[in-house]
Amino acid sequence: MTYEPTIIAFLCNWCSYTGADLAGTSRMKYASNINIIRVMCSGRIEPMFVLSAFREGADGVLICGCHPGDCHYHEGNYKCLRRFHLLQKYLTQMGLNEERMRLEWISASEGKQFAELADDFTEKIRSLGPCKLKETAETLT
Amino acid sequence: MEEIRIGVYICWCGTNIAKMVDVEDVARELSEMPDVVIAKDYKYMCSDPGQDLIIKDIKKHNLNRIVVSACSPRIHELTFRRTLENAGLNPYMFQMANIREQVSWVHDDRIKATKKAKALVAAAINRIKWHESLDKRTVSINPSTLVIGGGIAGITAALELADTGSQVFLVEKERKLGGNMAKIDLTFPYLNSAQQIINEKIDRIEHHPNIRIFRNTVIDEIFGYIGNFNSTIGQNGTEAELKFGNIIVATGLKSFDPSGIKNYGYGKLPDVITSLEFEQMLLNGKILTKEGKEPANVAIIHCVGSRNSDEHEYCSRTCCMSALKYANQLRSAIPEVNIYQAYADMRAFGKGCEELYCSTSRKDVMFLMFDQQKDLPVIMEAKADDSCKMVIEMNEKLSGERIEIPADLVILMVGLEAQDDAKELARSVGISMCGNSFFMEKHPKLDPVATTTSGVYVVGNCQAPKEIPDAISQAKAATARIMATIKQGEVEVEVITAEVNEDICCGCKTCIQVCPYTAITFDENNSVSVVNEAICKGCGTCGSACPTGAIRSRHFTDNQILSQIKGLMSKSLELNEL
Amino acid sequence: MIQRVNPNLKKDLLKLGVKDWNECFHCGNCTAICQLTEEDSLNPRKVFRQAQLGLKTSLQANISPWMCYYCGECSDTCPRDANPGELMMSLRRYLTSIYDWTGLSRLFYTNKFMEFAAILGLATIVILLFAIWGPPLDPTLTSEGGVKINSFAPIKWIELGDWSMAVVVAALLISNILNMFYKVIIKPGVKIPLSVYATELWKLPAHFATQAKFRKCDTKGKYYWGAHWMMMTGYTIMFILIVVFLPEFQVEEIYDWWHWQRLLGYYSTFGLLFGLIYVIIGRIKQNNQIFKFSHLSDWLFVIMLFMTTVSGIMLHLFRINGMPYATYYTYIAHIAILIPMICIEVPFSKWSHLAYRPFAIYFASLKKAASEKQYKTGLAAEIA
Repeated sequence: MTYEPTIIAFLCNWCSYTGADLAGTSRMKYASNINIIRVMCSGRIEPMFVLSAFREGADGVLICGCHPGDCHYHEGNYKCLRRFHLLQKYLTQMGLNEERMRLEWISASEGKQFAELADDFTEKIRSLGPCKLKETAETLT
Repeated sequence: MEEIRIGVYICWCGTNIAKMVDVEDVARELSEMPDVVIAKDYKYMCSDPGQDLIIKDIKKHNLNRIVVSACSPRIHELTFRRTLENAGLNPYMFQMANIREQVSWVHDDRIKATKKAKALVAAAINRIKWHESLDKRTVSINPSTLVIGGGIAGITAALELADTGSQVFLVEKERKLGGNMAKIDLTFPYLNSAQQIINEKIDRIEHHPNIRIFRNTVIDEIFGYIGNFNSTIGQNGTEAELKFGNIIVATGLKSFDPSGIKNYGYGKLPDVITSLEFEQMLLNGKILTKEGKEPANVAIIHCVGSRNSDEHEYCSRTCCMSALKYANQLRSAIPEVNIYQAYADMRAFGKGCEELYCSTSRKDVMFLMFDQQKDLPVIMEAKADDSCKMVIEMNEKLSGERIEIPADLVILMVGLEAQDDAKELARSVGISMCGNSFFMEKHPKLDPVATTTSGVYVVGNCQAPKEIPDAISQAKAATARIMATIKQGEVEVEVITAEVNEDICCGCKTCIQVCPYTAITFDENNSVSVVNEAICKGCGTCGSACPTGAIRSRHFTDNQILSQIKGLMSKSLELNEL
Repeated sequence: MIQRVNPNLKKDLLKLGVKDWNECFHCGNCTAICQLTEEDSLNPRKVFRQAQLGLKTSLQANISPWMCYYCGECSDTCPRDANPGELMMSLRRYLTSIYDWTGLSRLFYTNKFMEFAAILGLATIVILLFAIWGPPLDPTLTSEGGVKINSFAPIKWIELGDWSMAVVVAALLISNILNMFYKVIIKPGVKIPLSVYATELWKLPAHFATQAKFRKCDTKGKYYWGAHWMMMTGYTIMFILIVVFLPEFQVEEIYDWWHWQRLLGYYSTFGLLFGLIYVIIGRIKQNNQIFKFSHLSDWLFVIMLFMTTVSGIMLHLFRINGMPYATYYTYIAHIAILIPMICIEVPFSKWSHLAYRPFAIYFASLKKAASEKQYKTGLAAEIA
């Protein structure tokens, strides 16, 4: 059996979650490894959420927000972007491959792009292999 | 703290979910999760019997939290919240797991899909343990309405509202009211005069006591929220402070500029004109070439700027019928004229339109089909000794022959596209745009006039190209919605806002810097931040920025999301080991 | 090649009997339902389109109208009542007028007055010739009791007349066929190897004689093919009898009824009568698609042939029953109908199809064989 990674995706309610819904209503097929958690805005996504996802055993974390300039709350996605870059550095310091976390902009009309992103990211994580953070953390404690 | 008693309901959605997810297995497995009192599956949870099932179970099993695993919460979250209310529970003691749009419709492996469904429902169950009762909040409604755009849609909406006695502020970018409709001669399919219709309305609107018109005015920025918007409008050097409860966006679309399409030579060949320029000719009552002669051959080219990946992929909807209208007008103005329609597909849906197509085709109009994607016609100057001024070369699809059309006048049926300032307007009003730069409605099927911003409605062409009756229907639909809120005097608003725990707040003011709505102020006396819940829209940015964790984003609290992750991962990993 | 669309062609075709064609929206049902549809040679929808757009060159190079025998199936099943069958019929008139270099065909098709004038004029000339020459009206009978027809109309003079008529008509038809050949094969630049002309030649007499393709049309069991075939064979046999075998045909002896001359004559008469009555009843009742629309040329064709046949029968009866004066005057009348019928209807009007149809089939098979040959050589070259 091939290795099936588990990926948690944080999607903002207005653009990306609607985009993912569109992928559904358009019956586009994508990898079932993506599990979506809805937040109101990508600006709501705390570093804590991402770290917690890895700590609980996720192999990858996907963050999606509105395209720059399209944020329902004007600029939440810019704040998300800033945090993302910081968090990437932090992940590297922790010994995690920074590619396990990805940030992409998905608008409400980009169902197709979301489906493609889901497949692409799943393949990426699959190639990186399982994330050992959970095991390591459990041995340490 | 009261005991947590969760009811879990898995929807089949007919076969939509059930064919790809083993709903019974999901219900069985999740009924074993802690705090889950009951887990059931049912054909259509959103149906009346489905909702009754939940209400009965709440009463019978004394449930205090409900998880429904069905379609997207964007479709039915409100439905089920109302169900909870009917059963006497707080509507926020509810969580949806989206196993249709995110599972059954996008995956094709039943085993994997069922596993994923279990993980998503487990996440919802874990999350709901942290849910708390939230109280409804209402705001009063200012009965005035701002209408942006003075075309047929905006004018109709303004008149409808003003006639009920409400104040309307109508803002028009240009000096002249009437929009695109004021620029055309006849309407299709019944060839009524557009001028008669629009002029009567403009006249009424100009003299209406309840309507204040702002010409040559552009909306800069709008503050506030449903019921209580305000904006400063500059006009002729003076500024007016307007307060209004609802906004209707009716900014329309503009005609496509065909200069970029090399094949058509617009701007270079003098007698290649756009449909809008031809309307002007018709309004002037004279169809003449640049030389001042009556044309003997008139060619009409369809789909200019529409239905082509180089320009716009969408259909502009109105051009086919306008082109047929022109054929009729040409035939009656110059009986002997040769009329050629170079089209890609003839789209004649809707009342009276196919009939117009049939009657026009009996008037000796030559219809020539070309490939709109790969093989546009080419317009070129005719040779000096030719009988016509221009020739149009094209590959005619139905005959398979390469042909040329003689022409003295070429009318390009230009499509419709977004206004140049559409993006700025969307930002200032706070609405989204879809891929084609049209303003996005709340739901393409179920809610085509409202937007995701409460109190803002989109009507007419700016939402998508449409005919006059459709624009008018939308305008009237939006006014009905607005009238309902004005009559009630107040509306419920989102309770998902941020709150500050003053005991933990260290007064760093980080939240104040990140808030996009200036909803957070600083209480100097207590040295803490304070959230104005009327302004707060609940994006949660402050919550994730707060270094001490003093700010809670209601309904999206840290605990709720972290347990959701935990729940999701627990099931996901457990299942992976299978 | 680029062709200019021509809305004026429609005005032209309307005069030749084309009904309004706006109804056609190119669903292609006509091409699908047609029993004879063949790529490149019979495609009613494509012809319809060429006509609609006024693509003269393509239309004139198209042999589809001749490949159609008008079963009417396309018009019966057309979802828009655009009547493609009748369009093909009208286009046969158009093509006839196009192949005819003299321009008379066009004149007769579009001007009723001129057509009647030509027919009556020729008939008058025939009658005048008889009057000027003044043949002896011999009232005596032969020993068998028959009329002395050969003294009234000497074989050598009638034969001379027959042959000169045949030569003129043949010359007109052949020149028109050459014109057709130019328009169908040469002008569009179709390359046909010389050998193919020879190998496909048999199709010309074969289709003329059997009209095998027409049988495929006979899907509804309506005897079209049978009636048409009998009329055609009757006409051909009679034509050969009066032109080639005149000395054996126009005789004073009264042969026994089983004599070949009488048997052939009777067969021709029967064939013509059967076919003509079938057509006349059909056209009056309009009981089938093929008979729904009757152009003047359609009626003239059957009426003149019918009159010729009936006068021929009367002539025969009067002669063998020894009625000299009736025989002589009927003879004049018979010739006065026959001459204009053959001289006008055969080269310039509906009857020309007896030549154009077999040649269209021949040209179609030339094209097909040539492209097959080209394909095979191409394939061989590719393999090599």
